[in-house]
Amino acid sequence: MWTEKYRPEDVAQIVGNEEAKVSFTRWLERKQGRKAALLYGPAGVGKTALVHAMSKKFQYEVIEMNASDTRTEKTILKIAGPSTTLASLEKFSRNTKGSLLLFDEVDGIFGKEDRGGVAAITKLVEQSQVPVVLTANDPDLQKLRPLKKVVHLIRFRRVRIPLVVALLQKICKNEGIVAEHEALEIIAQNSQGDVRSAINDLQSLCKGKQVLKTEDIVQLPMRNRALDIHDTLTQIFSARTTTEALAAIKRSSFDYDTFLLTIHDNLPLRYSNPDELSVAYDILSKADVFRGRIRQENWGLLSYFFGLLAWSSTVAPETYQPFDFMYPPKRILAMFWTKNKRILMQTICAKIGKKCHVSKKSAYFEFMPFIKAIVKKEGKSRLPLWFGLDKKETDYIKALD
Amino acid sequence: MEKTNDSLMWAEKYRPQTLDEVANLKDIIDSLKAFLRNPNTMPHLLFAGMPGTGKTTVSLCIARQLLGPSWKTFTLELNASDERGIDMVRDRIKQFSRYSRGAFASIPYVIIILDECDQMTASAQTALRRIMETSSHTCRFILICNYSSKIIEPIQSRCAIFRFSVSQKEEIARYLESIAKKEHLNLLHGATEAILDYSQGDLRRAINLLQTCAVYGSKGNVDEKTVLQVIGEVSPAQVQLMLVKALNGNFIEAREMMYNLITIYGLSGSDILRQIHKELFKISHLSDADKAEIESIIGEYDFRILEGANDDIQLSAMLAQLSRFGKAKGKLNEQ
Repeated sequence: MWTEKYRPEDVAQIVGNEEAKVSFTRWLERKQGRKAALLYGPAGVGKTALVHAMSKKFQYEVIEMNASDTRTEKTILKIAGPSTTLASLEKFSRNTKGSLLLFDEVDGIFGKEDRGGVAAITKLVEQSQVPVVLTANDPDLQKLRPLKKVVHLIRFRRVRIPLVVALLQKICKNEGIVAEHEALEIIAQNSQGDVRSAINDLQSLCKGKQVLKTEDIVQLPMRNRALDIHDTLTQIFSARTTTEALAAIKRSSFDYDTFLLTIHDNLPLRYSNPDELSVAYDILSKADVFRGRIRQENWGLLSYFFGLLAWSSTVAPETYQPFDFMYPPKRILAMFWTKNKRILMQTICAKIGKKCHVSKKSAYFEFMPFIKAIVKKEGKSRLPLWFGLDKKETDYIKALD
Repeated sequence: MEKTNDSLMWAEKYRPQTLDEVANLKDIIDSLKAFLRNPNTMPHLLFAGMPGTGKTTVSLCIARQLLGPSWKTFTLELNASDERGIDMVRDRIKQFSRYSRGAFASIPYVIIILDECDQMTASAQTALRRIMETSSHTCRFILICNYSSKIIEPIQSRCAIFRFSVSQKEEIARYLESIAKKEHLNLLHGATEAILDYSQGDLRRAINLLQTCAVYGSKGNVDEKTVLQVIGEVSPAQVQLMLVKALNGNFIEAREMMYNLITIYGLSGSDILRQIHKELFKISHLSDADKAEIESIIGEYDFRILEGANDDIQLSAMLAQLSRFGKAKGKLNEQ
């Protein structure tokens, strides 16, 4: 696993999120103010990696709990409790400063099974004699509000695409793989700033290859993520009730927009009956309206958005039949494939618009059809010359259907 | 036979250069000429009207006649649909409105022609309003729009508003015939009628169609058949085909075409919906009641796009509605 092989050993190897790094270092060095820190932000941007790297640097021993453990108050205190008080003992017995308690993905603890988890963590933070670090994906901090009062908040953002590309390049170089820049860019773009998934995708794409070309990305396998989303989508679409679908959506770690686009892509595969499809799409369209209303601020509306998503996937549970999911979201790739054509079209329309005193849009709708018809009929037409179109642009118009 | 008639767009070749050449719009031209005689009395202008009714032509004539030979230097032509943000107003317009006229004492002011300004955001319009106030002694605005109702009140009240009505069929016919004569083109029986029918009072579209017909006709003759052939050739095949596919229940292919329109042609959801709306009236298989129902479907999703986050989802939802509708009504002929 390249994600293991290239796991950052020290802080400098973690790409991006400079502010968060500084903030975390300060907190750990001085442990000023609050006893615990909450690192929150999207998956795969280096939250856990930073904790491990820093602990190593400052010689803390990390005691970790993550989402796979059940977190009722009892177990949390049972497992984690002792280490907070035994800290001083460890300090003598080993060559470390002591323990550091890491609760990974604390936003996963609000299901029925984890009842009381937040209260337990709060209690623990208050009692703890060693630093406690929490990580969370959910930007909806409402749920974590009780923790907010006792923890120092550190925000992580998606890693910028160029940084991800640079990292992928480094890995390719190290692995002796020649990769086209655009190929890496697509992988990075598709990861949406999730470094871990980008590395995973790179690895599965490079399997048995020395050269990675842009064409290879067409069947982007997305092993790890695909598996995950595959499960989630199966749960959502095969759900017999909307409640069930909603639970599956909330359990998943995928971001809202990926969900929206993926359900959008897969709806026609799920509903072959036009009546069902139109009902489902109408609901999805309303979900999209709520996404628009939420923007980056009104997270309180999120529950309506999720609810509508769940409704749209369970319009007719009785007709469900397994199908092959479409993933990753088509549009992200489509925008990439067609980038050059789009730019060419814009350039042509801009030239027409300038000459005929119209907008690019009018140039496309009002002039392009006629110009196309003329140059198709009259190969030697001098119109392109008058518009200042070069050969490539003229050929492009001729090839339009 | 060698064809020399396609070295430039006729819409430009035959665009009137002075207000006197503008054949119709008599009332508007008369008032504008009064301004030309006494440039300092000219207020900011707001031209409203449908496409192809002469708004841009008249604006260019005014600039040319007011500013003389170097009119291009002192005229800024912008299209709000191409750059609709507030930055355009802040940077380009503001700068140009203060443009120094230097030694050109004969130039009364600079002119800014702002086309499709009903596409501007409200905040950009507000910013524009300020500039119109502060720059009135150095600059005149000619604002062009389809619907003056989309222009904020304060701007409307600062402008003399001229409404350009759709040209009469006879006027367009006369115009087409005069061009045909100059291009040595014979418009045979039914050709002019067919062009008028298609162009719906849009003179620019009529001229573009005429020019294309000239290329498709033989020996300088254009008959009705030629016109219909060209109309088939220039109809936005993509949009129409998408519409028919959706109505035939072929949702997945229709959605595929929609993706192409967005990604390759760079069109927005609203652009596509408006185009579908136009195409709708050309489908002969549907009854008026059906068209009314489809129209309300299109309108509904156009409205949702305003608030929604993803155009392609709203468009897909609309296509799904059309598929359902098509299923209920039985199949259409795929073209």
